Amino acid sequence: MIAEALDAVCNKWEVRRQRPFWRMVYLFAARVFRGGGDSDAEGLDLGIGLVLTLLAMPGGFVSILLLNKYGTFLQWLRGATNVDPLLVALPDEYFFIVLSMTVTGAVAVWRWDAIFPDRRDYMNLVPLPISTRTIFFANLVAVLFLVALVAFDVNAASCILFPAVVGATQSKFLFFVEFAVVHAIGVLLASVFAFFAVFSIIGLLMAVLPPRAFRRFSAYFRGVVVVCLVALLCTSFAVPQLLRRAPSPRWIALIPSCWFLGLCQALRGRAGPVLTELSRLALPGLATVALVALCTYVIGYRRHFVRIAEIADGSASARTWRTWRFGLLLDRLALRTPFHKAGFRFVGKTLLRSEAHRLVLTAVGGLALVLASQALMDAFDGGKSLRQAALTPDALSIPFILSFLIIVGLRVVFEIPAELRSNWIFQLMIDPDGQECTGLARRMILILVLPWLFVIAFPVYVYLEGWLIACLHTLLVVTWALLLTNIVLIRFRKIPFTCTLPLFKQHSFVTLLSGCFGFLIYAVSTLEFESSALAEPLRLLSLAPFALVLWYIPHYLGKSSTELERRLIFEESPTQTIEALRLGD
Amino acid sequence: MLEAVHLTKRYASLPAVQDLSLSLRPGQVLGCLGPNGSGKSTTVKMLTGLLQPTRGVVQFDGHNIQEDLAAYRKLLGYVPEEPHLYPYLSGWEYLELIGTLRGMERTDLGKKIDSLLELFSLHPSRHATIGSYSKGMRQRILLIAAIMDDPEIFIFDEPLSGLDVTSALIFKNLVQALGQQGKLVFYCSHVLEVVEKICSDVLILRKGVVIAQDSVENIGHILGQSLENTFLHLVDDVDTMTVARDIVSVMKTKAA
Repeated sequence: MIAEALDAVCNKWEVRRQRPFWRMVYLFAARVFRGGGDSDAEGLDLGIGLVLTLLAMPGGFVSILLLNKYGTFLQWLRGATNVDPLLVALPDEYFFIVLSMTVTGAVAVWRWDAIFPDRRDYMNLVPLPISTRTIFFANLVAVLFLVALVAFDVNAASCILFPAVVGATQSKFLFFVEFAVVHAIGVLLASVFAFFAVFSIIGLLMAVLPPRAFRRFSAYFRGVVVVCLVALLCTSFAVPQLLRRAPSPRWIALIPSCWFLGLCQALRGRAGPVLTELSRLALPGLATVALVALCTYVIGYRRHFVRIAEIADGSASARTWRTWRFGLLLDRLALRTPFHKAGFRFVGKTLLRSEAHRLVLTAVGGLALVLASQALMDAFDGGKSLRQAALTPDALSIPFILSFLIIVGLRVVFEIPAELRSNWIFQLMIDPDGQECTGLARRMILILVLPWLFVIAFPVYVYLEGWLIACLHTLLVVTWALLLTNIVLIRFRKIPFTCTLPLFKQHSFVTLLSGCFGFLIYAVSTLEFESSALAEPLRLLSLAPFALVLWYIPHYLGKSSTELERRLIFEESPTQTIEALRLGD
Repeated sequence: MLEAVHLTKRYASLPAVQDLSLSLRPGQVLGCLGPNGSGKSTTVKMLTGLLQPTRGVVQFDGHNIQEDLAAYRKLLGYVPEEPHLYPYLSGWEYLELIGTLRGMERTDLGKKIDSLLELFSLHPSRHATIGSYSKGMRQRILLIAAIMDDPEIFIFDEPLSGLDVTSALIFKNLVQALGQQGKLVFYCSHVLEVVEKICSDVLILRKGVVIAQDSVENIGHILGQSLENTFLHLVDDVDTMTVARDIVSVMKTKAA
């Protein structure tokens, strides 16, 4: 009886699923994961399973890491025997809210172009006997499904693991259930809010800007949103402390993540006056954002999709006298070979115009800015004057933090392919044994990093501390940037953006850990030393042997590699232990 | 002279081209015909050095091209079958990239690009991104990229796809002019009329094997028919009229 009823329901669903409307919903939802936009980009299109796994990972990992904080035995070892878990969990809860908002917002930014139906959809769907209204509703349903899926996926792990970790010290199961339900409400609503907020921004821009201007400035707005998301993530360090202060600053009400923290605390009956006030903003805020998203989506759809056939595709990028002169100057100073000249322009334009690359680089840049701002604030901690603050390790570390993240970020971005099928031109024209790729990548990184690094480090310190200190500090910054560039380019043998994505290797985790360790040495330890050594500049000479070793290692590794290991590649292939010779072929 | 000597290419164990030999003299325009999957593109890729043959060699002036691919490719202009270009670059920027990679003088490069864009009617949209170009415009960009450095060897793989009538006529005349200039031209196409009109010689492939290779007149004389009928006779055992009638009858079929 039950089986028959289930079969009937399944059959009914199967019939319904095959209707044009639901086929379109499926098409729009799948496109978000499999790539959209007008170009046939292949770079960052991952499978749906992998995307969902990656999205779920941060929440799960962070929950597990918190076991250290909430474990009863460890608490007992620390001498904390009477701990209020709800009080202790407040900063962590805030972090999860911020994390869920950042990840969901990042998904919306990443798939900005795929959320709305585009020219490809227009060309494929409009000639069919389907009304544009049906296409509109199908896309809307797909977007709502996507919001639900992403919100659930991003928070699923933390909704179970985090309450389990917090409730580890509690004997009552009810504590776990109550905590989990409230936590789930908070993070899910925060996720939905973040998605609709980004969606509203896209829709608002579509509704306000002319189509050509929207296409042109869309990438810059996305960059701004990414920086805001990174900044939001970084508030997790400061905001919980601010909320505990009495009175809390009034501007805290402008941070939406605080509203949802307030909601969680209010639902648990643990909210103070500030959090109660903030909690009242959560649901109206969410409703407003959802309403704005819907309205702007309707207007944007009418203005862009329905009129897509009337709108010229593409954008013009006129060549200016200034860029031409700048290119010639670079050719004369730094780019000697035809490959370097052509490669530099290609890499530069890809970084500026390819959305995937620009987004990743913007995220790294945003992180760098946030960390640098944090360092700047720390430098002024304790009411120091400008001159006193300038020589603290925190202030000295600013150019180091920026250069480390930008250099490593550029190195990572070089690995992301752009329009892989178009790399045939390089395969056809470049000598694979030419060994010019490392030179190109090094020039690219240094030209992008050194000028503004110099601008940040030199004039400020000349003004504040005089020529000697300024020269020494700038010299150290530039030397470290050069050494780091050499290190990150060890065994680099591809033209940026023209090779398939690197394979996951066993040493990938080691590389990641080395990066974190490298950051500590580069942007923390060196500055502790520099801060003390600037009083006696000769002491800085003791860094020379260290620098020599850092210069020699990549040099030695480059020289000791075989011809085959230096050969230009366009495809990452796994290292084979056994190779078939195919002598019979 | 460009020569392919006993070329064989296998993908895993499947042969795509088997024991193919051909020679291309200066001034010769060699057309390559064959149905889908006959090995035309594989042959082109081996001739350009993009694919290494499993067996056999491609020689230019008696030297194996694999010995100094960079020098060989400096002499080569290639138009691939699919116009895969970087969509975020403008037409001008793409051509500048190609010219610079070819080591062309920067002062001449700009003028040459502008002149060629003008001649191919692309000058007004030279600063628009390639992503906004139609297929024909992309194809014209590829053609300019292939000819701009005045190479000795031209390899065209379906160069007319997407071109409008005027551009196609210009291109056909261009190929003949290149032949008269003493260039080597290898021309792959499905369009028999074009091959018949512009090529001096023709090579017919079927399932990776050369089944006919001669001048256009001689191939026609073999069976006393046009190139189209000769091609159908040699390559396909299909009665095209019957297939067309069958398609119409399937179109009219309705589910019970």
